[in-house]
Amino acid sequence: MTRNLILIAGFASMSVRATAQDPRLPARLDAPTIAAINAVVDSAKAQGIPIAPLYDKMNEGMAAGADGPHIVTAVRNLSMDLASAHRALGALATADEIKAAAYAMHAGVPAVELGRLKKQSGLRRSLTLPFTILADIVSRGVPVSTAANAIRSLVGAGAKDKDINDFQRNVKVDIEQGAPPAAAAETRAKGAPSADKPKSEKPDQIEM
Amino acid sequence: MPEWGRTTLEMIVQDLQRPVILDESFERRVMVRVRRLYREQKKRSRGWTAIGATIAHRPAWAALVAAGIVAVATAGILKARPREEVVVGGPEPVKFVLVAPSAKSVAVVGDFNNWGLNKSALVATSNQGVWSVTASVPVGVHRYAFVVNGKQWMADPTAPRSSGDDFGMPSSALVVEDSTK
Repeated sequence: MTRNLILIAGFASMSVRATAQDPRLPARLDAPTIAAINAVVDSAKAQGIPIAPLYDKMNEGMAAGADGPHIVTAVRNLSMDLASAHRALGALATADEIKAAAYAMHAGVPAVELGRLKKQSGLRRSLTLPFTILADIVSRGVPVSTAANAIRSLVGAGAKDKDINDFQRNVKVDIEQGAPPAAAAETRAKGAPSADKPKSEKPDQIEM
Repeated sequence: MPEWGRTTLEMIVQDLQRPVILDESFERRVMVRVRRLYREQKKRSRGWTAIGATIAHRPAWAALVAAGIVAVATAGILKARPREEVVVGGPEPVKFVLVAPSAKSVAVVGDFNNWGLNKSALVATSNQGVWSVTASVPVGVHRYAFVVNGKQWMADPTAPRSSGDDFGMPSSALVVEDSTK
């Protein structure tokens, strides 16, 4: 009798746990979609992957009016990109770096390139912005290898985030004015300021 | 220097040069105190010196201890999670601007406001077709879009593109930096 009661209590608690829903999951999604997203999120949690971007993707899909299966596919694909980015960048990467890297991968940048950049830059330099710019210029037609080399040379030369933003704007304008994307990126990367370069002196400051 | 001053100075110097005579038991009392202090200090540090001696004489133990330290450190690094929950800086003000002279309304939606779900979209105001709105956005990387006339999504033409448009809606990327750093 006691054993049966324990079993019933166990099943009851299991069913409560199964129906318990993350408060971030909105009520308007259907049950299979919620279950599928919960499974993706649980798996991501177990792997130590940031889960906030997964909920953001779900919200984006709902705001765009996408159907359940479409949302689940997008969330699952993002989860896989986040997992690959996490593996490529290592355990000490920040959640923002992983998110930016996942979107760079979505744009076509291989994980190995992102990992190489992270290794080169070390722990102190955040690569959130460089990864974001890398994804942008690749989406504008700059070949992946050229884009990765350009960003790597900028980061390696100690360029600040502001310099990398300027680089992106210049490349964008050059491409819009008809320049071949690869040539624009290569040329602008060579001309970008960096921390290593000495500041030019004004003519009146040069001692004769 | 006046005479009285010189005399006083000479007297002081002579007094200071005079040898100090201590009683016979002074040196003995000092040495007793020094020996006691030395014994107490040795007693306190005996634990660590004993371990050091063991390790020095047994290389296998030393290797084992070193391996343990490396294993603990490695496990800590491997178990480390991305720093998702740690918010270093608070939200930063960001101004969104879109030039759309023919638009009737412009709003901003993004992952920082749940993509406008539950009427959370940021409503921009127009100044002769230059629409703008300023919002506090958390530090980090974000994706956003403008919604023109309540239905047309468009990316910010001045911002980096975001590649994650899985639903056919263009969006832009935004990296908000911590202004306190």
